[in-house]
Amino acid sequence: MAAVVLSEPEKLYIVHGVQEDLRVDGRGCEDYRCAEVETDVVSNTSGSARVKLENTDILVGVKAEMGTPKIEKPDEGYLEFCVDCSANATPEFEGRGGEELGAEIASAFYTVFSSENSIDLKSLCINPREHCWVLYVDVLLLVCGGNLYDAISIAVKAALFNTRIPKVRVLEDEEGSKEIELSDDPYDCIRLNMENVPLIVTLSKIGYRHVVDATLEEEACSLASLLVSVTSKGALTSIKKMGRGSLDPESIFEMMETGKKVGKALHVALQKVLDEEESLGTSRQKVGFLG
Amino acid sequence: KRGLYRKRRGLYREGLLSDDGFRLDGRRPREIRSLRMRLGLFPRADGSAYIEQGNTKVVALVYGPREVRGPRSRSAPDQAVLRCRFSLAPFSGPERRRPRGGEGRGSDLALRLQQSLEAAVLTHLYPRSQIDVYSDGSHCCTGTTAAALAVLDAGIPLRDVVCAGSAALAEGTALTDPNGAEEAAVGPGLALALLPASGLLALVQLSARVPCERLEPVMEAAADGCRELHRALDRELRRSLRERHGEV
Amino acid sequence: MAAVTMRLPVPRKPAVVRAPQGPEKHLVAPGDTITTDTGYMRGHGTYVEGDKLIASVAGVVERVNKLICVRALNTRYNGEVGDVVVGRITEVQQKRWKVETYSRLDSVLLLSSINLPGGELRRRSIEDELAMRDCLQEGDLISAEVQSIFTDGALSLHTRSLKYGKLSQGVLIQVSPSLVKRQKTHFHDLPCGASVILGNNGYIWIYPTSEQRDEETGGFVTNLEPVSMSDREVISRVRNCIVALVTHKLMLFDTSILYCYEASLPHQIKDILKPEVMEQIVLETQHRLLDLEG
Repeated sequence: MAAVVLSEPEKLYIVHGVQEDLRVDGRGCEDYRCAEVETDVVSNTSGSARVKLENTDILVGVKAEMGTPKIEKPDEGYLEFCVDCSANATPEFEGRGGEELGAEIASAFYTVFSSENSIDLKSLCINPREHCWVLYVDVLLLVCGGNLYDAISIAVKAALFNTRIPKVRVLEDEEGSKEIELSDDPYDCIRLNMENVPLIVTLSKIGYRHVVDATLEEEACSLASLLVSVTSKGALTSIKKMGRGSLDPESIFEMMETGKKVGKALHVALQKVLDEEESLGTSRQKVGFLG
Repeated sequence: KRGLYRKRRGLYREGLLSDDGFRLDGRRPREIRSLRMRLGLFPRADGSAYIEQGNTKVVALVYGPREVRGPRSRSAPDQAVLRCRFSLAPFSGPERRRPRGGEGRGSDLALRLQQSLEAAVLTHLYPRSQIDVYSDGSHCCTGTTAAALAVLDAGIPLRDVVCAGSAALAEGTALTDPNGAEEAAVGPGLALALLPASGLLALVQLSARVPCERLEPVMEAAADGCRELHRALDRELRRSLRERHGEV
Repeated sequence: MAAVTMRLPVPRKPAVVRAPQGPEKHLVAPGDTITTDTGYMRGHGTYVEGDKLIASVAGVVERVNKLICVRALNTRYNGEVGDVVVGRITEVQQKRWKVETYSRLDSVLLLSSINLPGGELRRRSIEDELAMRDCLQEGDLISAEVQSIFTDGALSLHTRSLKYGKLSQGVLIQVSPSLVKRQKTHFHDLPCGASVILGNNGYIWIYPTSEQRDEETGGFVTNLEPVSMSDREVISRVRNCIVALVTHKLMLFDTSILYCYEASLPHQIKDILKPEVMEQIVLETQHRLLDLEG
């Protein structure tokens, strides 16, 4: 992860502050920084979203393409994650560093979405054993300002919410060979069921307490953190420990509880923004990168 | 997969030019796509720029000049080392581009970018330092222009603002600044990077599809595109300068 | 009780209240011919081709007698002798430290340029060389003054005054150097209860006023006592106010920070960073500053 270097007294100041529930920017341990979310920012995609969590800037594009179902799951479609930590985000990502981080993040997302119900994969099936929709979720890290996983998961959920998959019909002719017809109408499409799509909450252990939405400086003071993925109903779908340090079991349970609470709040806030954007429709001008 | 995508993109026209000389998107052969840009959108980088030309969107960032990181052998005693990287997002084209590991510095696009910028950046002013340029987007030429703007935004001295444009040959006519559909139909043609004040070229790259006798009009078309781009860019740049300098 | 705010992005508004303009500024972009009069000398931001003086950066043309230069708005820190900087140690080399100061090249702090512990005055010995890391190591923050400039442009720093030295507990913010106003002093004890060092290089250090620098040790011993809650609140508030000022491109100096602080008091510390609150506070600060001038 892109790390900032801090002096010992600076770290001490941060750690003591966390103990007192007053972080450097005035937040409490369970407060998030202000986030900006916008969908449909990239043409050429089935769905896209951009999320800015103060400094962290993420762009996600979802492309629905036709593919063949996996052998072990013949009546389901699937998701493919690809994370690009370009050197844009911070020069420390040059070369191998960025690739490794990208692979790590993609792997975490596979785990998060591997849960049975996260996405209704059966709805992505067109023709069992023959055709299905593959959703390629491409994540582009524009700027890294701390708390990557949470920001990326918000962008992924927003992009999936924005994804429109064209309706298809399977036509069978006399010889038994199948043909797939795509609807011409761009508005004739299906949307994904977002009910159980999880969001990631990263809890970083600092001193004896833990914080959510750590800044780069706070990440430098944290030796271990816990990634939890939470659905909108507050159910945990996966847990992953990150970092070199170790966590004692009791603090893990505390962190899980905080994760559930904060996760639910995240879902509510995100849904509110997405609904607002949708209701404004074309009357709202896209801001994108120009605003 | 016979018959798949039968009705995909059902708007194919017979040709790329209508009878009265209009292109698919309504432009004349020598017109460039509309330009929108913004500088300094990533405050953490030393310089940054964003350009939108038609559907093409490019982001460029610059870090430097700064102390060389890594082996000392990388630094040059008499000038700054310019390191360029060009990456294409997987969703940047009409078909999803399978991400390749090798879009780093050694790639063709990055080398083109490096060549275009080296002609313009006054690197002799910063010995022993390095300047990192990262361009991210769907199009080489726009990426080069965005990179030049990002270098400008970083306050790094430039001989000139490099403007890059391309042209392709379609049905006997040279088309300036081909869009995605046009490029898909006839392939990339000629790419130029121009230093507008002097009229000198920093980059000339030709793909195979232009017969020699057609070279001149295609070059003219590309150069026209660069000059037109420079005019549009210049307007935007000065407006942005006035706004920012009014602030301080 | 978690607080999560998400919103749709709002297009940037053009600059807030601006003071009436001075004389028309001559703005140029790279490639522009500034003049063909060969009587002028070329300064920074220009180059000569034939008999033309051409701009190489985008910015304002400045003429001082026969010298023409172009000042770009946004560059890395260009150090000048006498500037006060805050920097971070990146390397411990033989008889010197490399310090990161957001310049084009890392700055240098020579072993002979620091005060020895105890304020001794003597030649540096081998023991001193070996003990360099005990004094300053990678990651440490220091405040220093620019002593001289090497031929390649790197700055040579010194901490040979009791007000400079290693920094202890506090908060560092990095801003654009062009936003730090040049003043007689860059060390300020703000009446609100925190102190700041406004480095010319854009590194701003906020620390508790109550921390007394122990004069005898020459400023290299750090205080590891936890900072009190009241001090923390002031420091966090000042930090957010500085972020607000910088986001709206206002110059940073003791008065602007103080006015912003006072304008922010009705709001909770963490709310200061919300765009609408930031705008309101900055507007108020600007009005007060304009009243002060006019």
